[in-house]
Amino acid sequence: MTDDPRMSRRSFLRARVLGDVVGRVGDSIADRINAASDAAGLTPKAPPARSDRYNKPFPVLRPPGAIEETTFLDGCTRCAACIEACPHDAIINAPDRFRVAAGTPMIDPVRQPCRMCEDTPCVTACEPGVLRKDLPVVMGVARISPVTCLAHQNSFCTVCSEHCPVEGAIEIVNGRPRIVEATCTGCGVCQHVCPAPENAILLMPLAHRPAPPASHPDNENDRSDPPHAEPR
Amino acid sequence: MNDVGVDRRAFLHASAMAAATAVASGGVRTNALSLPVLEGDESPDNGVAWNKGVCRFCGTGCHVRVGVKDDRVVAIAGDLKADVNRGLLCVKGYHVGKILYGEDRLTTPLLRRGDSYVPISWDEAVDIIAKKIHAAPERFGFYGSGQWTIGEGFAANKLMKAGIGNNHIDGNPRLCMSSAVTGFLSTYGVDEPAGCYDDLDECDVLIMWGNNPAEMHPVLFSRVVDRRAKGEDVLLIDIGTRRTRTTDLCQEYLEFNPHSDLAIANGIAHLLVKNGTYDRAFVEKHCNFRQMDPDAPNNMYGKPMSFEEFAAAVAEYTPERVEEISGVPADKIRMLGDLFGRRDIRITSLWCMGMNQHTRGTAINCLVHGIHLLSGHFGRPGDAPTSLTGQPSACGTVREVGTLCHLLPGGMLVANENDRRKAETLWNVPEGRIKPTPGHHTVALFEHFCTPKEDGGDIDTLWVQVTNPGQTLPNLHKLFNRKKDLEDKFLIVSDVYPTATTRLADLILPSAMWVEKNGMYGNSERRTQHWFRMVSPPGQARDDCWQTIAVARRLLELGHPGMRDKDGKFLFETRDANGREVPIWEWDHYYDVNVDERLFEEYRPFSRIKQKDLAPYEVYVKARGLRWPVVEQPDGSWRETRFRFSEFDDPYVKPGSEFQFYHSVTKDDRALVWFRPYEPPPEIPDDEYPFWLNTGRVIEHWHSGTMTGRVPELRRAVPRAYVEMHPEDARELGIHRGDMVRVESRRGAIDLPVWINGRGKPPRGQVFVPFFDETKLINEVTLDAHDPFSRQPDYKKCAVRVSRAPASNGAAGTR
Repeated sequence: MTDDPRMSRRSFLRARVLGDVVGRVGDSIADRINAASDAAGLTPKAPPARSDRYNKPFPVLRPPGAIEETTFLDGCTRCAACIEACPHDAIINAPDRFRVAAGTPMIDPVRQPCRMCEDTPCVTACEPGVLRKDLPVVMGVARISPVTCLAHQNSFCTVCSEHCPVEGAIEIVNGRPRIVEATCTGCGVCQHVCPAPENAILLMPLAHRPAPPASHPDNENDRSDPPHAEPR
Repeated sequence: MNDVGVDRRAFLHASAMAAATAVASGGVRTNALSLPVLEGDESPDNGVAWNKGVCRFCGTGCHVRVGVKDDRVVAIAGDLKADVNRGLLCVKGYHVGKILYGEDRLTTPLLRRGDSYVPISWDEAVDIIAKKIHAAPERFGFYGSGQWTIGEGFAANKLMKAGIGNNHIDGNPRLCMSSAVTGFLSTYGVDEPAGCYDDLDECDVLIMWGNNPAEMHPVLFSRVVDRRAKGEDVLLIDIGTRRTRTTDLCQEYLEFNPHSDLAIANGIAHLLVKNGTYDRAFVEKHCNFRQMDPDAPNNMYGKPMSFEEFAAAVAEYTPERVEEISGVPADKIRMLGDLFGRRDIRITSLWCMGMNQHTRGTAINCLVHGIHLLSGHFGRPGDAPTSLTGQPSACGTVREVGTLCHLLPGGMLVANENDRRKAETLWNVPEGRIKPTPGHHTVALFEHFCTPKEDGGDIDTLWVQVTNPGQTLPNLHKLFNRKKDLEDKFLIVSDVYPTATTRLADLILPSAMWVEKNGMYGNSERRTQHWFRMVSPPGQARDDCWQTIAVARRLLELGHPGMRDKDGKFLFETRDANGREVPIWEWDHYYDVNVDERLFEEYRPFSRIKQKDLAPYEVYVKARGLRWPVVEQPDGSWRETRFRFSEFDDPYVKPGSEFQFYHSVTKDDRALVWFRPYEPPPEIPDDEYPFWLNTGRVIEHWHSGTMTGRVPELRRAVPRAYVEMHPEDARELGIHRGDMVRVESRRGAIDLPVWINGRGKPPRGQVFVPFFDETKLINEVTLDAHDPFSRQPDYKKCAVRVSRAPASNGAAGTR
């Protein structure tokens, strides 16, 4: 929320009307991450020079059980077995604008969220083992933006908590939803179903995923330290 | 997030454009009318023109600002200057613009040929309808709704009653509002609430009778909850049959057995009398007492009784006896009695379908008015019995314009000769044109339409506009689905999308909707609202009102004598400023003049007959709605009325009388306090069908979901119907959340997934199913038993059994 509502309105109007009115709500997380990356100066203005910085991995919403990102990028063969195994059609190939991650499996919850299958067929299907059964099924964490959440804005809504597949991940306190970050898996169902005119769910992909348990036995620490940072 | 006001403003700013819909260039049709742009400073130079509109959904009547660019609605925002919603909208309202742009909008007239439809021209379609009507005018029926604009309803009503000369016109408010109407009529002698939404800002106690405003009228409920959030002391009491989202925000929840609200209201009356806490002065000056006349049980006005007789009649409803009938603890009944007995607090009652959709709907309406009158909690800001409506113009169009089989515009009655003469004079048609017998009410209309001619079904052709009876009628197998096998019955449906009704239609007409046409609505608080056409309808879609007028004109050409008035002029003759006749029956000329304005001005004199005065059209153009009676002031301004029958606000009340019920049934300016006994429901759960079935809405979807189902955000939020069940009942049946179960009554069956501990929590022995889902027609299960006075069916309770569904998921039972 900016301090001056008039300013925010004006810039908002400019952005929405002059620009692309078509479904701000429908923007995929991929676009948002892209936009955030652009804002963070990640998009080179000149001919793209493949600097180290450019090639550095940034948070991507991976299927369940994904290992640490650098290792993931090295190990993933882009075989698409997990994509085929997903019964909900939730896993897609990261588009080209994901640069180093292009072609690897990811989830775009606005399109189709992870439905938290108990038997995680995507993990079973992963031959190179970059999705692992022994890692917790945590892909990220959801945040509610009180400025756009209907329930926080004097209307009545509990849709996110009703659809949340993880028991206890979204509480309703005084009629308003609250994410329990320690329980949230970042599956994105809440973002998918949020009916607010501006989607009120921000989904943060897990920035620091655990390496396989052998090297990082205490991976619970990673869970309690959800990623907030913009990709850098 | 402490300052609610600031938050809301910031939110509005943030979401001003949020309901934006895809922009694509369509054929731009320049509008002949100049549109008043709302606030110049709020329209940045980006080509978006903002205009005022009214939300298309419920009866709250929220005002929206509609942003239009390149002949498309691109944005919706709450209207900060509107009294009703003060900038706030509910989830549906923010998305209202998107209802125009579903992928399957109907864009061309379609005629059934065998099992398929062929596109035909409008000329052909109009000709087919006119010939069907002309062949047997007395066997034609018209079925509309509280979504008709005032002009559309007025035109349809005139076509039927002053033209074709049959009264078989009814509308779906019969299914939702008519018990409220009969309640008002038999209490005050005239329809519609005395109070208004301002009561919500003033009351100390708000009682919701079987009402779930957090979900059904969220913006109004926000108004009250907001007061409490700011530290005001407001006691919210939910008297209901199932825990809802509203319950969560109420301090008191009184759960009663279905139908037993009659006993609760009588119990309160008993305590007021017994404790001597009723308002003696108010009662002696302003009330008479009434009871049912055993010799004429169907007479809505009953017979007089004395106060002593009344006291004796309610005496059996002791708190203990009420507890026995209703299940509400006697102490809670005493609490209600004490509250009503206090003079130092203001009490507002709210209700909607929870009271109306019952076989004793009229009775409970009368009783709630009665306890307010008896206790003197009436006519001061915050002291009001107020019914809410479910449709945007159930009041404005259906109840005021009178598009029901027994009504004439302005609250007049078909059966009353004086009223007929007045209407004939105002319509300038020959005396005797209006038939003295009321037509078929909704259930009878469809019963006759779905019964073969040889078996006495006397309606052959039925035209349905702006509603979806194929989903919303009760007991669909009996009242609608049978049409399928009746080849000599002709169903015409004007709609914007394919619906459960169009699936059996013989002729489908594509309609313009909402801001694709000029329109006026009237909301629950007597507020008449106006908007202008802002965008073109898609393809060949055209205004419902034009369709009605075009058929009338074709009937005139075919020689139907009713299409001419006393002077031989066409019923809908319209002249421009130079006095030249405009052929408004030709679509190309329909918008040469403002037909909506002409019809409204023709209707206005009717509104003055029963002191429901409406202001001139141009006054509404500038206003965010005005509550009638709207009376001209000496300075030429127009003043609305917030509190009817109260001297301090209502210009029609005689000075010095404090309150005057100037349409009193007893002609002595007094309202009637009714005694109506508790009576058992028409169908009670038994061993075979052990559960109560209750039906209703959810916040995300509006009525049959035809519009909200086309908005992806709303569809994703609540994609399909479900059945709510008590966890213990589910456990006994071995059912888990998400399992498919079959809900089955004596009339039909339907398979639904179970939702346990969901948004609503029914008590043991009750299940609840929302009716928005056209793939899960719960009304194939409901009961068509109806109230004897209002003819409103009982959607809120019937007996069903619940069992695990057979393996095939989703298949509807007996379709």
